[in-house]
Amino acid sequence: MIGRLNHRGLTPLLLALLVSAEVNAQGRGGAAPPSSPRQAAPTDLTGQWVAVISEDWRWRMVTPSKGDFPSIPLNLKGQELAEAWDPAKDEAAGEQCKAYGAPGVMRGPTRLRVSWLDDTTLKLETDYGMQTRLFRFGAGSPPAGPRTWQGVSRAEWVMTGTGRDGRRFGYMKSVTTNLRPGYLRKNGVPYSANAVFTELWDVHVEPNGTRYLVITNTVDDPTYLQSPWITALHFTAERDNSTWDPTPCDARF
Amino acid sequence: MRRTVLGFGLRALGFGLWGLGFGLCAAPAMAQTELTGTYMPVMHEDYIERGPGSFLGDFTGMPLTDEGRAKALLYTSNLPSLYERQCLAQSAGVFQYRPVAFRIWKEFDLDGRVIAWVLGGDHLRGDIRVWMDGRPHPSINAQHVEGGFATGVWEGDTLTARLTHLKMAWIRRGVGIPASDLTTITLHVTRRGDLLTVTSIQEDPYYLTEPHVVSRVYQLAPRATDQTRQACNTANEIPTLEDTGEVPHYFPGRNPEEDYMVRTFNLPKEAAMGYAETLYPEYRKKLKGLYTPPAACSERAPGYCCGWIERQGLPGGAPNLTCNDGGFADLGPRGRRRTSSER
Repeated sequence: MIGRLNHRGLTPLLLALLVSAEVNAQGRGGAAPPSSPRQAAPTDLTGQWVAVISEDWRWRMVTPSKGDFPSIPLNLKGQELAEAWDPAKDEAAGEQCKAYGAPGVMRGPTRLRVSWLDDTTLKLETDYGMQTRLFRFGAGSPPAGPRTWQGVSRAEWVMTGTGRDGRRFGYMKSVTTNLRPGYLRKNGVPYSANAVFTELWDVHVEPNGTRYLVITNTVDDPTYLQSPWITALHFTAERDNSTWDPTPCDARF
Repeated sequence: MRRTVLGFGLRALGFGLWGLGFGLCAAPAMAQTELTGTYMPVMHEDYIERGPGSFLGDFTGMPLTDEGRAKALLYTSNLPSLYERQCLAQSAGVFQYRPVAFRIWKEFDLDGRVIAWVLGGDHLRGDIRVWMDGRPHPSINAQHVEGGFATGVWEGDTLTARLTHLKMAWIRRGVGIPASDLTTITLHVTRRGDLLTVTSIQEDPYYLTEPHVVSRVYQLAPRATDQTRQACNTANEIPTLEDTGEVPHYFPGRNPEEDYMVRTFNLPKEAAMGYAETLYPEYRKKLKGLYTPPAACSERAPGYCCGWIERQGLPGGAPNLTCNDGGFADLGPRGRRRTSSER
């Protein structure tokens, strides 16, 4: 129920609640409430993050064989398409970025750079495939346009509490739609244009200062999946930005 | 060794102070979440490893020390079949690699305050009892148990637990990757609706060069029966070992599966041997030119790779999407699936 309430994209309401909580916490005459999603952020997602490929290594670090798709609840139609994967055909069609759409690239061996584009838009860049995704906060209409690899991502902060020291807790929830059909896995495991990609973004800070970004993902795609594909990814924060190494899409490796 | 034990002691002390500090200063006033329930693993990651079991010699995704790698390569899957090893508890962190549900419940003190959250229910491991009352971690000389000694705090709606005093155990299932009794584990347990995300961060001064991080998703299963810990009974699993006094193992450098991943998946040997550098994007670039994908699964022997597996006849598999999963279920060979027109 709590989760469902949080799934509504009611950013203004959340902000209002946040403002209310802030006022209550600060008492009369406290600091001004946050005026934008950027100010309201309960957790800091910005910075450079590197994927730690400690799970599904054989499917994420290298391109697996055609038909190697354990873990993904493909339906028959999805399996048939995966078994028909032909990277040469993708290259000829100029679609070598099919494995770099939002649900695919996030599982890749990539670094992420997250920054605020403006007060209501968070920008995510990947060096793997050189993709850019924008997370738009607020209830406005999504920008019209053709489907893209990164789709349209709506975002909201979900507040989960306030500490006695005034520290606020929460996470980002994003929902990405309007995706151009692509691959969940490099070897042609498909998702369709109907796919809805939901991500819950948490940051955990260890006592030694190490920061982990953990993203709980759900890919809903009734076209090719029997059930939602649910996974969790983890990244660690990097202080050294020199490791950023943009590489273009590659349909084969 | 002295430095390592000292390090463990300092870490345990640090965890204790961390818990105490959080308890006194930063405990969230209104951030806790109800975690009670039974959770089924969502097996959409590391399926082979969590279901039918790892390939021998597959240490991919692990940051092993040379000592850890050497010890893992001594392992044979006959080893846990010895009478005296059949009922050994598994690592507190191994539930992240098991295909079974687990249960979370809370315990109260006499005043009705939550004194501990408990993760338990799997008959092969001890409960993880996460003390929430700010008590310190015990002396380094205190007993080590299957579930370790854990203290926790709420960070928003995430329960964060630090585990020390764990027993020596294998980190992953079936491949012999070791953890020492000086290992520590941090758990971040976050429930969002029916989904529970558990991130485990395991450190080990002997066998890991850096923390081993795993993040898994579980799903609340309110209709599941309670997961009980049944008594473990031993049985003669390998008659040829009976009364021989032998401890199954491979000698150093003699493990015939050491290059299994090379033979089967065309990976360079070092890629599967658990070097930390293999966990990061740079390594993919290193593999370029060295790796070519093996032939398509349909052209390989049954059992090479499987699609979505129909789990023991339970709902979840699509028609005809069965394969030989290595014995996890009696499904028969994968074979060539009939196309729509053939049907």
